[in-house]
Amino acid sequence: MDASHKHVKADCEALLARFQQTQSVRFEVFANIWREMKFSQIFRGVVKHEKRAFCHLVLNTAYCYFLPPFSFQIRVGGLYLLYSLYYTQTASPSEQIHLALKDWEEVKKFENNAIDAQHMDAVYILRHLMFCKAFRFTAMPTLLCFQTNKVKERSVLREEFIERASRPQELISSGLLEEMSNVSDLYENMKASVLSQMTTPGDSSFNLIRKDLVSQLSGTVQEFYNWQREKETFDENENSQEDTSQKVCSNRAELLASIKSKAFGEAPETLKSRRHRRVEMNSTTEASAALLNQGYTRILKQSLRKRTRDALLLSGDVQMESASHTRISLLATLDSASKKILKEERS
Amino acid sequence: MAESKQTPDANTGIPEYEYIDVNTKPFHVGSFRDEWLARLRPEDFSFQQEDEETFEANFAAEMGLGADTMAELKSACSIDSLRCHPEDEQLSMDDVPSNPRLKTLIQRKRKQERASSHNIHKNRHDFYADELERLTIGRPPEMGADRIPKGEVLLTINIYHPAVYEKFNFTRPCMTLLMTGSHTLTELRDAICCISDLQVCGEFSKTPDVAPDFISKDHFKSAFFFFEGVFYNDMRFPECQDISITTVEWAKAHNFPQYSQAKMEDTRFVDLKVKVGFPYLYCHQGECEHIIIITDVRLFHKTDCLDKNLYPLLTHKHRSLTQKCAVCHVFIARWYTTNDQFAPSDPCLFCDQCFRILHYDTEGNKLGQFFAFPYTDRGAFN
Repeated sequence: MDASHKHVKADCEALLARFQQTQSVRFEVFANIWREMKFSQIFRGVVKHEKRAFCHLVLNTAYCYFLPPFSFQIRVGGLYLLYSLYYTQTASPSEQIHLALKDWEEVKKFENNAIDAQHMDAVYILRHLMFCKAFRFTAMPTLLCFQTNKVKERSVLREEFIERASRPQELISSGLLEEMSNVSDLYENMKASVLSQMTTPGDSSFNLIRKDLVSQLSGTVQEFYNWQREKETFDENENSQEDTSQKVCSNRAELLASIKSKAFGEAPETLKSRRHRRVEMNSTTEASAALLNQGYTRILKQSLRKRTRDALLLSGDVQMESASHTRISLLATLDSASKKILKEERS
Repeated sequence: MAESKQTPDANTGIPEYEYIDVNTKPFHVGSFRDEWLARLRPEDFSFQQEDEETFEANFAAEMGLGADTMAELKSACSIDSLRCHPEDEQLSMDDVPSNPRLKTLIQRKRKQERASSHNIHKNRHDFYADELERLTIGRPPEMGADRIPKGEVLLTINIYHPAVYEKFNFTRPCMTLLMTGSHTLTELRDAICCISDLQVCGEFSKTPDVAPDFISKDHFKSAFFFFEGVFYNDMRFPECQDISITTVEWAKAHNFPQYSQAKMEDTRFVDLKVKVGFPYLYCHQGECEHIIIITDVRLFHKTDCLDKNLYPLLTHKHRSLTQKCAVCHVFIARWYTTNDQFAPSDPCLFCDQCFRILHYDTEGNKLGQFFAFPYTDRGAFN
């Protein structure tokens, strides 16, 4: 069962990666990918007495994609995945999704985000799952048996799925900057009035704060935001045409974001629920193809074996032999005969 | 605005990991339940299924959707769109499809091919793993007073083999019990089956026909549980002694943290403060110690067994190999002999019939030298 955990995770990630590429949060899009991958076949071939355990494993694996730190689009994908797996599972009566108490706040926040952005299908699916009592309200998402001796492979979260860090922008908001500039002006004035009355006005020990703190802060945040945007390669057409089928939702959301940004000239930060929409879909293949090419450049580290092999720079026969098993029987055969055997195997 | 990180102390009842995927910090079961009930609407944890039309009507009203939009939404999110094969095609779910693309299926197919080629025997542990659960899951809910009230807490408890066993000490649970929050610890104690409770003390070579008039369970009634620094003693019967007092006093004398004591029969599960996934102790017979781990605490669900009389519910039982008679290899051993001149080994096991045939003559007189003890096999609970 542990071996299949890896494979189940790989399959889920493959599905979610394709979903991420579509830049959409619609359930029809997800269902298309699901049908294309024939994902409900994942339940086929399970032995009768393992059915329930397998369904539990699959639902648990999908559950982690529904929670932070993944991006909003991946979380929606995780929700759709849970919904689909729950209804296509073969265990009867159905195996439930274990929802932990500590994750409840996150789920509620997600629901509110989806409502604000008018992603009705996501909200409907979540409410439908609650209505069908698909959740079990537990303490922890998995059964804990104090297994410390099992080698825990730290599950590396796929970087592409993780939410882009936006805390600097959220922290240094326009309101905060305005307040800070007010306070700093007040301080400067008070300091000036106090200093003018003192005997040694030029003492440098009175310079306790940075000058131009506010403008520096906003400049740094803007820099960070621009650097982030450059890192994620995308077409900078955020103010251009909209996809007609998403007109209402995207217009409203963009309007909100633009109002906020226009007010104080800060780094325009789109709502979390809209961030997946980097490229405006003109439903042309060129745009999507271009995106695929730029895509996510994941740095793949070569395996240790390969790196050792490359480092040692073995050549020719020696390399071939070192890669294969030692054949002890060849120690006792003649050179010519052993060469023949090796040649046969190579061909 | 940066949120201040709320560190939940043990009283808040929101379980957090102490070590990820290993165990949680201690939390109060009753508070945990209250936290969940505060966050959910009554319909969320009730056992009745809501009417679908009502649900849709409420949803449409809340979101301000018209009837057409609602219908469109419903059809867009329907599970029919997930069907991967044509409607009239009847596919068997037991076969792995040919040309699988999913990694899980590829691996499963490979495993099946390997299993069929190696002719591996069926593993009886896996085969019967869910046997007990199948009996009770999805049972129609009872009506009336026997029904579990909604909002009740369910605990899954793993009990492990005694510490003296060589095998499976900490890996495979001997049994898994489901308990409700309103059960007391004594009910858990009564539900735990250990063969050391059935042992009979005494040598019976001269009087094999005398039925032993007591078993250890009746004789040594004291027991305790140890959860989070508190010893819960069983004091129901006058013969029960407080066997934890020695440990408590030793700890006081040796600069250990102070342990306290309480009564088992007065403590219900909702009053306990425990860690999920952390091993605790159950000791009975004075020296037979079992590790206990609470693997899960959750609210009742409509698919759980809702009959109060069936709890504590056994959902998993480890099937031990039974020791057979050394002579016939057919019947399970009932007698254990030592210093036996007739036996091939010392000690040796016999079933009842072989034992009498070998050691006693037709009148029932003892032949030869030996010591005989009644033996209870580990597989007695299979």
